Amino acid sequence: MQNFKFIRPENLDQACRILSENRGKVKILAGGTDVMIEMRDDKLPPSIEMVMEISHLEELRFIEDDGKNIRIGAATTHAEVAESELIRKNAPLLAEAAATVGSPQIRNRGTVAGNSITASPAADTIPPLLVLDATVVLRRGTEKREVPLRDIFTGPNQTNIGNDELVTEIYFEKLPDDTRTAFIKLARRNSAAKSRMNFAARARQNDAGEVIELRISAGSVTPSPARFNAAENILLGKIPSESLLKEAGEAVSGDMIRQSGYRWSTDYKKPVVESLTVRVLEEVLTIY
Amino acid sequence: METIELTFTLNQREVTVSVAPNRRLLDILREELHLTGTKEGCGIGECGACTVLLNGRTVNSCLILAGQAQGSEIITIEGVEKAGGKLHPLQESFLEKGAVQCGFCTPGMVLSALALLRKNSTPNVDEIREAISGNLCRCTGYKQIVEAIQAAAGKLQRK
Ligand code: FES
Ligand code: FES
Repeated sequence: MQNFKFIRPENLDQACRILSENRGKVKILAGGTDVMIEMRDDKLPPSIEMVMEISHLEELRFIEDDGKNIRIGAATTHAEVAESELIRKNAPLLAEAAATVGSPQIRNRGTVAGNSITASPAADTIPPLLVLDATVVLRRGTEKREVPLRDIFTGPNQTNIGNDELVTEIYFEKLPDDTRTAFIKLARRNSAAKSRMNFAARARQNDAGEVIELRISAGSVTPSPARFNAAENILLGKIPSESLLKEAGEAVSGDMIRQSGYRWSTDYKKPVVESLTVRVLEEVLTIY
Repeated sequence: METIELTFTLNQREVTVSVAPNRRLLDILREELHLTGTKEGCGIGECGACTVLLNGRTVNSCLILAGQAQGSEIITIEGVEKAGGKLHPLQESFLEKGAVQCGFCTPGMVLSALALLRKNSTPNVDEIREAISGNLCRCTGYKQIVEAIQAAAGKLQRK
């Protein structure tokens, strides 16, 4: 394994200071479920001189309700999110997604923030967080910056988070009471499997049955995590019918093919993507 | 290379070690402390052979960097047996039900089962399967392993 200095800051301020003073030389370590594998394969960039642990920082370990938003500290694990009453009540789709990540051992270490900022197309918690319109809070030195999660992804496994920035929390607004949400993941549970498709959605309908709010996102479908606006627009303002759901499914597979190109796997993925879209929509919409 | 000094609780005893910062918890257990019950299978967090309890939760010790163990409470398979070398009911049941074949996955399985039984004393089969879903058995004796965990839960109940 590569050599480095190990740093265990006493608090968040110190962590941010170290990061600013050693720009580009510090690798941040929280759950370690990805970073440890990078290290093992000697894939840390050669500029890295120190590894800074943050998982012990209590300031980054919380799940709280500030009245308007639900806030999740950056060192909070998948298991903590999956077990949290607050998350289960306010964002059941995120609790379910967190409960399907990796294995119990991985969920006990890996963090939702870490999983989400990998920008991996296969990260299970990204689609629910995109559907929740989550915001990422970052610190650079003493400055704080907030960015919508969808704006941090610049490509597969790439984000625009600076190498002197630390993610401190992710938050999202509590959903209106009449919102329905769903998360589904393809195929049976298999701890080791990483890249299985998953779908997340949230929706509201008015008394007439018209869709007044809809968000759909999926993992392992497009090269980088995204919402499917074309599919959402097909249903917005309409009273959902089986044929509209089918159309929405085709819009999602259309987006996939536009972004990923037609690949060897497309013939298999296209019908699966379409039927999973229909399924997730059936869970959040009343169909007439 | 510089070393770092770590103090943590291992199987109820405080230990202090001085290690290179790029060692994993797994390496410290096996090579520094000579507790070789914890196994290395894949080394990338997929097989669970290196499972230990860290602050009461199962973790893959191959994915934990030495310094992250600082101040924590760790239980390895060596800490599972009762005083005087008496086997834990889980270990007894693994033997009785034929849940040990080559034995490589067994320490990790027992620790995952222990973590389960501590929070759920009457798990059903699905809950047991879920609890050991991060532990692979190459000898594929899953059925006996599930039975052993059920039997141990029964024994612990009667106590
Ligand atoms: S050796 Fe750690 S999970 Fe396989
Ligand atoms: S008994 Fe051989 S790997 Fe499980």
